[in-house]
Amino acid sequence: MKKKAYLGIDIGSISTKGVIINEENEFLAESYLWTEGNPTEATRQVLHALREQLDGEQYQIVSAGTTGSARKLVGSLIGAQVVKNEITAHAVGTTTLHLDVRTILEIGGQDSKIICVENGVAVDYAMNTLCAAGTGAFLSSQAHRLGIQVEEFGEIALKAKKAAPIAARCTVFAESDLVQKIVAPVVFQGGVSKNAGVVHMFEEELGMPVLVDEKGHLMGAFGIAILTKEQRCEKEFSFDIADTEFKTREITCGKCANHCEIICVYRDGLLIDSWGNRCDNGAVRQQKEQMGK
Amino acid sequence: MEIKFDEKKKIAFPRFNHYGYAIRYLVEQGLGAQFVQLPPPTKETSELGSRYSPDYACAPFKHTLGSLIEAVEAGADVLVETGGLCRLDYYGALQKEIIRELGYTCEFVNLAEYMGGKKSGWLKLAKHLNPKLNPARLMAGVYEGVKMAEYLDEIEELYFKNAGFEAEKGSYKKVYRQFLLEMQLAENSQEIKDAYQKAKQEMSALELRIPGNPVRIGIVGEYFTVMDEYSNQFLQEKLVGLGASVSRFMNFTNCHLRAKESTLRPKIREYARYSMGPTTTWTVNSALDYAKRGYDGVIHVKSFGCTPETDAVPVLQNISRDYHIPVLYLSYDMQGSDTGLDTRLEAFYDMLERKKKVLR
Repeated sequence: MKKKAYLGIDIGSISTKGVIINEENEFLAESYLWTEGNPTEATRQVLHALREQLDGEQYQIVSAGTTGSARKLVGSLIGAQVVKNEITAHAVGTTTLHLDVRTILEIGGQDSKIICVENGVAVDYAMNTLCAAGTGAFLSSQAHRLGIQVEEFGEIALKAKKAAPIAARCTVFAESDLVQKIVAPVVFQGGVSKNAGVVHMFEEELGMPVLVDEKGHLMGAFGIAILTKEQRCEKEFSFDIADTEFKTREITCGKCANHCEIICVYRDGLLIDSWGNRCDNGAVRQQKEQMGK
Repeated sequence: MEIKFDEKKKIAFPRFNHYGYAIRYLVEQGLGAQFVQLPPPTKETSELGSRYSPDYACAPFKHTLGSLIEAVEAGADVLVETGGLCRLDYYGALQKEIIRELGYTCEFVNLAEYMGGKKSGWLKLAKHLNPKLNPARLMAGVYEGVKMAEYLDEIEELYFKNAGFEAEKGSYKKVYRQFLLEMQLAENSQEIKDAYQKAKQEMSALELRIPGNPVRIGIVGEYFTVMDEYSNQFLQEKLVGLGASVSRFMNFTNCHLRAKESTLRPKIREYARYSMGPTTTWTVNSALDYAKRGYDGVIHVKSFGCTPETDAVPVLQNISRDYHIPVLYLSYDMQGSDTGLDTRLEAFYDMLERKKKVLR
């Protein structure tokens, strides 16, 4: 009999990550690529990449989970058993790999967060609220303006002899009230952790070493894979889903002035899921049930 | 000659959660005027409010202005805005100006002008709104209206405490909705009382499946945003949906009838020695109370730019540190999307739940 494997996909605003783990939480396959505004296509490519890496003779994926901002959409596309927010996924993933971690800093494409950990479990978290300042989006737009690849940005920054002052208000990487909660050991992850300049500044500012895991960018996908494993709700997963035709359609509900935007997901022309309606009047769901009968 | 079928004045208040029903009772049964009952707010209400508001005004200003504009479009003769202990006290005056500039000619009553004034001033206002006023009827109407608000608060509290654990999905909501409907239709004190007792009995009779150690979350924050469901994007309903037991001390009953600011302040002496503004004492006191009673988390709700509640944040951070209780801070403006809020609430709930499993 084939050994069990678990799939986790993290679809962020900027990048899409996918991992497959085994029963012992070891990575069997991994993939990381740009979302480029098309989560469906990015997921398809991630699945293709994972299929090539996985030893299909030996392993069978028994459950799948999604996280990140497009978790709901991709979750219904691939029929995921677990659809969870990225904060939980990151906390679970990191605490599994680093048992003694106390603080997790995570800066992604559009959000930054800090998770406080005690005894291997998250006890408090905070996340940027009203705006996305101080996230990867800022770095990549600055890199673009300067005509540099964002991947090289950090190395170039480290060569600087003198720090350039920028209007600090909109680029602070951590709100001041959170800094006091930071306790070593600190793990820094998310796309921005790949920027050596930011890592250096964090270490200097906090006066403590900041650990950047080489798999830090995959932590969300890893976390959701573990959560999927814990769930024990198994159903064989087939990579064929990557080649299925998916369509999404947005409908504006006209039943009241709220004008809810209802997202409908179709697989091979058949409606499989819909959401976005604030009240029961947005009745796409009922139609789905009727079609099921 | 002009024929008037109904000479009663049509009076409108801004929407404020379910308290509209109590105000309606007071106006129709007590004052003897007609009340303009608005349908639930929509995105259009917020857009109307935002469009004609100064951008630095807080979200409650925009929500109430949107309601008032919709009310006057619905045929209101008299718009009423209340006063308060913060900038809210000036909002009536400002909204009156805005309504005038938009070209509406209806009457505008700013209650801020009457608050702190003599009782005869209120009676004069009541007589102006209904020249055929029966003062005894008015007194009874005020009393019964307040009673209705108390009942509304009590049933609401019960709903959010237990609805997350209902054995049959939707059973709590059904009773709660029926109760709200009966409160809208009630025309005398007996009907109010009957509806309340019926709802309470029915809710108590519903089967619950409470887990051994349920996640309990306390909600604190700014008066309007924390109480008005539409303003806080149905925060409590979302938490109940995740499976939590939710408490909110701040409501009409507790704020105006039971706990006076001066009696609460000694309780929070360790954290604040003087009042920092309209509702911060309630905020700090209830957060401290939740922490002492072993709640799993606290959510602080305020409108963006609310100065008094911003001042309360450092105090809540101290409580969070001392009692080891996580606090989630939410700031609301006129943003309509639920996605960001859903992510944060789900993460908060997951964290509290996992923490319970491991640490206890």
